[in-house]
Amino acid sequence: MTDQFHASSAAPCLGPQARRGFLKMGLAGFASLSLPDVLRLRAESAPDNGQEKKAVILVWQPGGCSHLDTYDPKPNATSEYRGPFATIPTNVPGMEFSELLPLQAKIADKIAVLRSMRHGSAGHSPGTMRMLAGDPDTRAKESPKYPDYMTVTKYLRSKEGPRTNPLPSYVSINGPRGRIGPAYLGEAYSSFAVTGDPNKPNFVVPNIGLSNLAEVKRLGRRASLRQNLDTLERAFDQAGELKALDEFETQAMTLLTNAKTKYAFDLNNEDDRTRDRYGRNTWGQQLLMTRRLVEAGVDMLSTSLSGPLCGRVNNWDDHAVNHHVFDAMRFRSQAYDQAVSALIEDIYERGLDKRVLVVVTGEFGRTPKISYQPSTGAGNASSPAGTKQPGRDHWPRGFSNIWAGGGIETGRFIGATDKLGEDSIERVCGAGDFLATIYHHLGIDSSKVLLRDFNGRPTSIVVDPGKPIPELMG
Amino acid sequence: MAFSLSDLAKRSVFRSVIYSLLVFLLGAVSGAADEGDRPIHFVNDVVPVLTKAGCNAGVCHAKQGGGQKGFQLSLLGFEPLEDFESLVKDGRGRRLFSAAPEQSLVLRKATGETPHGGGTRIARNSESYALLRNWIEQGATFGSAAAPKLVSIEVQPDRGLVQMGADQQLKALAQFSDGSVRDVTSMALYESNSDAMATVSENGLVSVLDLPGKVAVMVRYQGQVSVFTAAVPLGATVGSLPKAKNFVDKHVFANLKQLGIPPSPVCDDVTFLRRVTLDIAGRLPTEEEVTAFHKETNGDKRDQVIDRLLRSPQYADYFASKWTPLLKNRRDATSDITANFAFHAWIRDSLLANVSYDQIVRELLAATGTVVENPPVAWYKRVKDPKAQLEDIAQLFLGVRMQCAQCHHHPFERWSQDDYYSLAAFFSQIGRKPTATAGEDLIFHKRGRATAKNVKTGVSLKPVALGDDVGNIAADEDPRLRLANWMSSKENPFFAKALVNRYWKHFFKRALIEPEDDIRDTNPPTNPELLAALEEHFINSGFDLKELVRVITRSQTYQLSSQPNEHNLSDRQNYSRFYPRRMPAEVLLDSIDDLTGASTSFANLPTGTRAIALPDNSYNKSSAFLKVFGRPNSASVCECERVQSSSLAQSLHLINSSQVKSKLAGGNGRAARLAKAKMPTEQKIAELYLVAFSREPRPGELKTAMDYLSEPLIDANGKPIAASTAAATNFQDLIWALMNTKEFLFNH
Repeated sequence: MTDQFHASSAAPCLGPQARRGFLKMGLAGFASLSLPDVLRLRAESAPDNGQEKKAVILVWQPGGCSHLDTYDPKPNATSEYRGPFATIPTNVPGMEFSELLPLQAKIADKIAVLRSMRHGSAGHSPGTMRMLAGDPDTRAKESPKYPDYMTVTKYLRSKEGPRTNPLPSYVSINGPRGRIGPAYLGEAYSSFAVTGDPNKPNFVVPNIGLSNLAEVKRLGRRASLRQNLDTLERAFDQAGELKALDEFETQAMTLLTNAKTKYAFDLNNEDDRTRDRYGRNTWGQQLLMTRRLVEAGVDMLSTSLSGPLCGRVNNWDDHAVNHHVFDAMRFRSQAYDQAVSALIEDIYERGLDKRVLVVVTGEFGRTPKISYQPSTGAGNASSPAGTKQPGRDHWPRGFSNIWAGGGIETGRFIGATDKLGEDSIERVCGAGDFLATIYHHLGIDSSKVLLRDFNGRPTSIVVDPGKPIPELMG
Repeated sequence: MAFSLSDLAKRSVFRSVIYSLLVFLLGAVSGAADEGDRPIHFVNDVVPVLTKAGCNAGVCHAKQGGGQKGFQLSLLGFEPLEDFESLVKDGRGRRLFSAAPEQSLVLRKATGETPHGGGTRIARNSESYALLRNWIEQGATFGSAAAPKLVSIEVQPDRGLVQMGADQQLKALAQFSDGSVRDVTSMALYESNSDAMATVSENGLVSVLDLPGKVAVMVRYQGQVSVFTAAVPLGATVGSLPKAKNFVDKHVFANLKQLGIPPSPVCDDVTFLRRVTLDIAGRLPTEEEVTAFHKETNGDKRDQVIDRLLRSPQYADYFASKWTPLLKNRRDATSDITANFAFHAWIRDSLLANVSYDQIVRELLAATGTVVENPPVAWYKRVKDPKAQLEDIAQLFLGVRMQCAQCHHHPFERWSQDDYYSLAAFFSQIGRKPTATAGEDLIFHKRGRATAKNVKTGVSLKPVALGDDVGNIAADEDPRLRLANWMSSKENPFFAKALVNRYWKHFFKRALIEPEDDIRDTNPPTNPELLAALEEHFINSGFDLKELVRVITRSQTYQLSSQPNEHNLSDRQNYSRFYPRRMPAEVLLDSIDDLTGASTSFANLPTGTRAIALPDNSYNKSSAFLKVFGRPNSASVCECERVQSSSLAQSLHLINSSQVKSKLAGGNGRAARLAKAKMPTEQKIAELYLVAFSREPRPGELKTAMDYLSEPLIDANGKPIAASTAAATNFQDLIWALMNTKEFLFNH
C-alpha cells in the first residue's frame, strides 16, 4: 500500500518511504459472526444507495473500433478509405453517424462524440495501458506498470473512510483484464470480477448471495464453529492487520449471504421488457448489469464487448487476416448499437445522468486506408483461409470515443480528424486528457495526486500528461 | 552597522534591514557582525522561501512534475540559476513587477489574491512575504557571486530522550563559507520518519506521541540535511530478562532496558517449532516433527531444529522464492522457461550449498557467457538497460536508492547525478550476442574504457562506486569485477548492512531500518548497535547466510512470545515480543494443501511440487490463489511487491472459492480419510490440531469439535443424511473452520 498526498500538504515531496498503511476499521469481525448473525445479515435491508459517489461505466471495445465505420464517417473519401456503409442523420441536426448505428442516431442528443483522440501507442497492450492507466510507454509489456483509473479511484476512495455499501466499489463484468490492474497499489484494489455470460438462463455470479439455502446454512454452521475455535489471543494486533482481516471477512460473508446484495447482481429481477431492450445477448445483459450495479451503489464499472459477438477472433481487431472488417462491423453492430443505446437511454430515464458517466472506447481506432490480405481462417465475419478480404489495422493517430451522462453537454461532436480520418486535426486530445476528464468527473484532480510506486517514488496517476477536456466536463 | 542615507530613504530596504536584524536577534546566534546589512540574495534568501512554501514541489511548479501553468522551478530548488531565469525572465516578466512589488504575480498567487491552484501558500503579514516583496522592489537581482555559500546545517539538539506526550523544539543552524551561522529554524523543512511516533510542526516543534522507541526527524535546508533522533522511553521497570543467548539478545535487551519496555517471556516449544519451521523452511511442521520435538529432552533441542531446517532442501526453496522475484526471474515469453528454470536452480542450489553471499552476488553481477552454461546471465536479460542495472544493484545489494538521482539531486540523499552516472559506467561495457537459445544473449565484456555520460552536464564519467575511487580500469578488464570487489570488501559500508537488515526483517517483520532497502544517513536504524553487530558478525563469518539465520533464530529475542504483557502492547519496533504476520502466498497454499491432504499441480513441473519451489512468476497467472494472496510478479526489486495485507478477494477465496472447496472435498483428502478411519474421534481431532496449529487441542476445543462432528445432518428436504456422508461433511467443516482461524493463517 502506498501513501498518497496532494499538492496542498506542506511538504509534498516526502521522498522514499515504506509502502505501509493499514485500513481503517468500521465493522465487527467475522470471528464474532454466528449462524443467527449470518441469517440476519442475509435478511438485512437494501444496500444504502444514498451514498452518491460519482460513478463511471466503461464500455470497452477490445482491439479498437473502426472510427470511420461508426462515429466519424467520411462519405466523401475515396473508396480506398470510405468503406461500404452509408451515413445517416441523427436526431441532432448536423450530426451524422454510420448506418450501423440507427438506434444511437435516435438518441444522439444524449451522446457527445470526441472525434479527435490521438496517442502514439499502436499495440494492444501499450494502447490499453495508455488509455486506461496513462502509461506513455509505447512498448509492449506483459503487465501494467501503472494502476488504471478504476483501481486508483478505488484506492483513493478507500482512504476516505470505510465503505458503508456492502457491494464492492469496483466491479468488472467480463471487463478488460491482464493489461490493466492495480500495479503497485496491490491486488486489494483490483476489481470484483464477474465472468461468464449473463444472458445464460442459469448464469449466477459466484461468491454473491449463495443461491442454495442449504449452502447458506452450512456456511453459517461453519462460521459458528470457527467462532468457537478461533481462540488465538488478539491483543497482539496493534497494527490493525487482524482487524482489517476481520473486516474483509465480514464483507465477504455479507456478499455471500446478503439477499439484497444478490438482488443487485440478479438480472432476473429486471422485467422482460428491459432485458429485451438491452438485447438478449451477452453484451446487452452485461450492460444491463452495469446499470443495475451502478444504481445499487457501485462506483466503478467496466465491461468489455468481446467474445463471439465480435466475430471469429472474439474482439474488434479487424485486420484482414482476422476478419472481413466490414462483415465484422455489420455482424456486431446490431448487438452493439442496441446495448449501448439502451444503456444511455436508461441512465437518463432513471435520473442517473448526473452521477454516472458512460464512456465507450477502445484502445485506438482502425486504419482509414483499407488493406487487403488473405484470411487466416473461416468463421463469423471471415472468409475461408487464403481468401483476400478487406481489413483495417491499428490506428492511434485519430479515433473516436463516445461519452454520455456525467452532467456533460451532449448532442455534439468535439474535435475532428482530417478528410480521410487519418489524423486528428482539431481539438486534439491525448490519453492523458481522456483520463483527466474521467478523473475530473470522479472528483479527482489528476494533476495534483501523486502515489508512491514500489520504489517510494511519487508518481502521477496520469503519467501521460493531460488536462480535463472542457467540453466534456459536467 | 553602516548604511548610507540614500539607502535609508528606500523604506523597503530599511524594512528589510530591520527584518534581517529581527531574525538575527530572535535567533540569538553569534554570527558575523554585519549580518543585518546583507543584501537579499537569491540563493541564500529567496530560494529557501520558495522551498518552504512548497512552490518547487513535485506536483506544483517543479519541472519534473510538469510545472503547473508553465511556471517551472527546479525540484526543491536544487538549480537556483534555472529558477532565477524562470522567475525573473520567463513568463514575459509578469511574475515580478518591481514598480509595484505587491502586484507581482508571484506574490498575488502565493497569497491567493489571484486565484491559485495551489491555494494560499504565504500570508501577507509573514516574513516570507516581506522578504520576497523587498527582493522584488530591490530589483530582483541574483545577488553577489561573492556572497557566502551554505556549507552545512546543524540541528540542535541532534539527539535526546523525549518522554511520551512531551515536545521538543529544534533549532536549525546554517553554516556559511565565511564562517557565519544563521538560525534558519523558520525556513527549514522538517519531517518525522514515523508519524505514528512523533509529529513535527513547520517551525520545528517535535511532539512525541505514545509509542516507545526511536524516532528521527529530518531537517532540510537548501539541499543540506541533518537529523534529530529521539529515544522515547516507555519507562516501565524491566525486571527479569531472559538469559541472553548471543549478541543479538545483548543489544536488544540493552535497548529494552534503556527504553523501559519489559519483554514478553520466551515462547513454548511447540510455538517455537511452528514459527521457526515456517520462517526457515516455509512450511508447517509435520505431525511427526511436532510429536518428536515434544518428546525430545535434550536441552539444546531448539538449536538442533534450526540446524536441521537449515540443512533441509526447503530452506533453499523458501529463500530462493524470496530472491528470485527480486532478481526479476520473470516469464515474459513462453521461451523464457529455459532461462527461468536455470536461474532459479542456480539460486536455489547456491543457497542449499551455502555459497557465501558475496560469491553469489559476484557471480550475478559479473556474469558472462550463456544462460545454459552460466545461469546468472539471465539477470542481464531481464534487466537490460544499464540504468536499470545500476538502480537494481544499488537498491538490492546496497540498500541505496539511486532512481531519483538520475534526474535530480534527491533532497534526502547525498547522491548526485555524477554519482549516478559514475555507477552506470560499471555497466557500460556489457556486450551481447544472440545464442542458440531463443531470446537469450551471450553476455561478455566488450573491450574498452568504461564511461557513462552525465546527461545533464554532458561530461563522460569513469566508474566510481558511490564516491569511492576504484582505480583505473584497463580496457581489457571487466569493470563489473571491480564493482564486485568494492561491494564485498570488509570496509564497504552498505553491502553487509543491507543484507543483515533485509534478513532481520524476514524474521522479525520490521527491519532495523525501514524500508529495508532505503539506507541513508537521514533514515537511522532503531538499534544502531545491533545493526553494527550483525553486520560485523556477517562479515566475519565470511558472508555466511546460514550462520546469519542461525544467530538470529537462536536468539531469545526471536523466541519471545507474541503475547504482549501489560506494558509492551504498543511496541512495534523494539522486538520486545514477536510480531505475528500472515503466511506468504506460497506458504499458505502449501499449508492448506498439507492440512486438507490435497495437492496443487503446476504446469511443466512434477506432481508434488510445492508452491514455495516455483521457479518464476508465470504460475501466478494460472493460480488465482497465489495472485490473490500477493505472490510478487518479479516486476520490482522491492520486497514490497509481495503484498502481505488482506483483501476482500482473499477472504472470499478462503471462505468460498471452488479451489478451496475442492481441496476440502477431495476424495483422497484428509476429511474423507478421517471420516472413514477406524480410530477414536478424539485422535482424529488431535491430528487436525497437530497439523494446523502444531499443538494438541485444549479440552474446550476438543469438546466443541466432538459436539460438532456428532451432530446429525439433514438435507434440504429435511431428511437425515447418511452417517458416512455426514461425517465427511462435518470433517470438511472442521478443517474449514481451523483453516480460517488467525492461529492458522498467521505465524505467531
